[in-house]
Amino acid sequence: MPARVSLIWQEAPGLSGLDPAQVALAAGVELDDGGLVEAAVVTVAQERAPRGLQERLAGLPVSWLDLAAEIGGGGDAHRLARAATAVARAAGRAAKGTLPPVYAPQPAQSVLVAGAGLGALAAAWEAAALGHPVTLATPFGDAATPGADDDPQAVGLMAAQLPAQVELATECELIGLAGSAGGFSARLMGPQGESSQGFGAVFLAPPGELAPGCEIHGLNPELCVLASKLDPEDWQGPEDAWLHAAVLAGSAQAAPSYSFAAALEAALALAKRPRVQVSLFYTEARVAVPGAERLFRDCRAAGVLPMRVEPGGLEVRGGHTLAWFDPLLGEEITLEPAVAVMAEQSGAPRPAWLDNELTVKPWDLLVPENPRLAGGKTSRSGLYILGSLRGTAPGAPRRAEAAAATADMHARLTGRVVPMPAVRDQLCARCLSCVRACPHGVPQFVGFGIACSPAGCVACGICAAECPAEAIAPPGWGQPEMLAALEAALAVAPEPKMVLFACGQSGMPAASALSASGHQWPAGLVIFPLVCAGRTSQVLVTRALELGAKGVLTAGCHPGNCRSISGNLVAAAKLEMVQGMLAELGLDPEAVSFLPLASNQTRELAQAVEALAVKAEEA
Amino acid sequence: MNPAEIDTPVLIIGGGVAGLSAAVELSRRGLASTVVEREAAPGGRAGEFCCKAVAACARCGACRLGDLLAEAAARPEITLHTAALVTSAEQKDGLWTVELSPQPAGDDAPGPGAPLGERCSLTTGAVILAVGGQVFDPAGKSRFAHGRVEGVHSALELEAMLAMGAIGPGAMAPAKVAFIQCVGSRDAAGGRPWCSRVCCGYALRMARVIRHRLPETEVTFFHMDVQDYGRAWEEELPSLKEDIRFVRAMPGEVTAGEQGPRVVFAGPEGAPVSEGFDLVILSVGIGPPNGAGSLHELFGAAPDQDGFLAEEGPDGLFVAGAAAGPRSLNESITHAGLAASRAAARVGALLEAARG
Repeated sequence: MPARVSLIWQEAPGLSGLDPAQVALAAGVELDDGGLVEAAVVTVAQERAPRGLQERLAGLPVSWLDLAAEIGGGGDAHRLARAATAVARAAGRAAKGTLPPVYAPQPAQSVLVAGAGLGALAAAWEAAALGHPVTLATPFGDAATPGADDDPQAVGLMAAQLPAQVELATECELIGLAGSAGGFSARLMGPQGESSQGFGAVFLAPPGELAPGCEIHGLNPELCVLASKLDPEDWQGPEDAWLHAAVLAGSAQAAPSYSFAAALEAALALAKRPRVQVSLFYTEARVAVPGAERLFRDCRAAGVLPMRVEPGGLEVRGGHTLAWFDPLLGEEITLEPAVAVMAEQSGAPRPAWLDNELTVKPWDLLVPENPRLAGGKTSRSGLYILGSLRGTAPGAPRRAEAAAATADMHARLTGRVVPMPAVRDQLCARCLSCVRACPHGVPQFVGFGIACSPAGCVACGICAAECPAEAIAPPGWGQPEMLAALEAALAVAPEPKMVLFACGQSGMPAASALSASGHQWPAGLVIFPLVCAGRTSQVLVTRALELGAKGVLTAGCHPGNCRSISGNLVAAAKLEMVQGMLAELGLDPEAVSFLPLASNQTRELAQAVEALAVKAEEA
Repeated sequence: MNPAEIDTPVLIIGGGVAGLSAAVELSRRGLASTVVEREAAPGGRAGEFCCKAVAACARCGACRLGDLLAEAAARPEITLHTAALVTSAEQKDGLWTVELSPQPAGDDAPGPGAPLGERCSLTTGAVILAVGGQVFDPAGKSRFAHGRVEGVHSALELEAMLAMGAIGPGAMAPAKVAFIQCVGSRDAAGGRPWCSRVCCGYALRMARVIRHRLPETEVTFFHMDVQDYGRAWEEELPSLKEDIRFVRAMPGEVTAGEQGPRVVFAGPEGAPVSEGFDLVILSVGIGPPNGAGSLHELFGAAPDQDGFLAEEGPDGLFVAGAAAGPRSLNESITHAGLAASRAAARVGALLEAARG
């Protein structure tokens, strides 16, 4: 039942000079005359459409199309052909009866903060300020107990400011978690035993622990003092001699800046004591925290001897003597310190349930280095990991991380446009491919079938790409409507036809920027925007080739930069499989390829498309 | 205070990553804001940075500007005035009144936002200063010969060269490249006794890009200490040290040789060595927002001993991003979230007080 599709033209920068009637004609759709509409293509993104139009189209299958992003520059005929291709693609999708997103049921608003210390308190404070009911489950007997790497004063102040609506669960730990944003189920172990509770979001911020980050094996423990436990008042030289103190700030391996700075403070405090000679041992002077370079200078001015050693170049003899080679003097030096102060690094043990219950190997849900998951985010929507467990430096960075994480949480739980993957239960084979594939933990097997958490989906479409039964897809990203869109676009596109599948985080922003700057695309290029490159599949790519595309390029994020963790890798792996298949058939495997890209790499995208066009022209 | 007096709940000065992030975070918290950008297009410094991915993402965060611009454009709570200058600011009864004046703008400046039409005055409950830091001008270190000897470039210029593809196969292919670290950082004699935090990271990332594009090119990294710039990097450092020549020495000067620039540094025995390179990159540091000096004085923001701005100034003034101290892009984005949270709390308290 292909629905009659109307083109609703909304002027936008980049569309000037195009005649809507001509575009509609070339695309094979009707131009809207204000009358009855069955299905529609609108030429601007939904958020830029006037409210009246949104209301008129409510409940109808609509493709909101950022048309200007796909056209680019060139002559009138060229731009008309490109506009027609883009409109045809969107119409193909709308004709399939793609319904507007199903908005999820109201997600749970309550928030669990499991942990203690500055990050945990800041998250609880922020979440309460945003109006969420908060449970703070702390392993300690009160909220004011800091982690070992926290500033106790700052934590005490924050605990005193905690709003009354924060429910405190003392001596309570999170021991298990299932679900995703808007629908978590948490298992808590408290003094009354185990209990299970539902939450909309979970912040995990276990109290930090300090450990010597650069301990030297073989040093007599009686000589060693941890930097955090040092009381400089304990030390001073005898009347007629120097007391030698060694501060060990990363002699096996460089200490991080915050740890080096703490060592500098200890060194300076000791150097100010009567007749104490301080030697500071380090491999790299890590001064990348505010004030540390000044502190380093102050230390030297106060008489601290900086001793830079090669990694592992500091030896311990007999449990009491330090020995190292001085390159300037060209000889070995030894020192028998009265005290050795150890710089410490913070960390927190990783709860076992995190890996056992939430992580689908080989992904690490934490991925602390992925720039798209900065600010405490994890791949699991609605779960935030803060502080020392994530490796965030103590102090101000933790406060900032908690603020960023809570704002993200609030947006996710209260946002209007949260799609809900549609599950067609009668087609579902319960193979659990979607449960395994979804990096955000949205589909869950709940005993009888697949249920989706109400606020976790980002519409990456990886579930739809993996489902063998076409039973699950975020709205608009099912196989039938995507194939229809591809067919309609390739039917209209002039020869030589090509397809660019463009990830919404990298390929599409780059393409959009090129279009805005007037870049002239090859006439036969179909730009197919995706939310995530992970939505491509062998079926889509091979179908494009069957329908006459001479080349298919998928532009996704660089490895390690995917918002959905592995959508880019999955897409690249699938294209490799298609390449293998093409080679077996005696066809050119290079007709399909994956382009790792960042949104600011417009030059690279333009070059890749140009190369694609040259090949297509030859084929 | 009368809430009706407020034109915009929060006014954000600066449309770079920090300012845009603050606006997006406020909007996620349900608060509207107005962003004022001096230039014709938003984006700030981040718009000049190249992607530093080689086989994988290098986690530099340059791509996140695109996300922010798109998000700022899509959120109706955010108003963005470009080509607008702050001319005065005064605080009265807990509110700030800020006057803006339009600057000449190009005809069709790219990106979201529109040039400010005419002079206007905005009253707001909170101001976020996100004016960024200032990149050190290598002319201030004349011994490194920037602008005097051909082949000597600042790291910022290298960003643009890499983004444009000016270095690589089929373009300029230098055989030897040197990076000189701490140009305008960790320099007490030069009045800049702080570490700029980001330079080791960006220089080594760009060094890797060069090595990736031109495997035959030899890259030398002159430095004092390698700072920490991410956990994953710590693990990568040993392999990086095999790929790039690490020389622990601060060069004394750069001179003009017959083949190109020459770097003079203390060799392993202490005697000076002069070595020729095709390209010398000066890793310039981040300083306090000097250019905006009059601006933060307008708001009475207190500079710290190095000139960076304190995170919280007088009532209702907050500072986000590199204006408060050298920060990476990722750190600036997170830092702006904190400023947004504080500004939101401030506006919430003002409205509460007005109601009560």
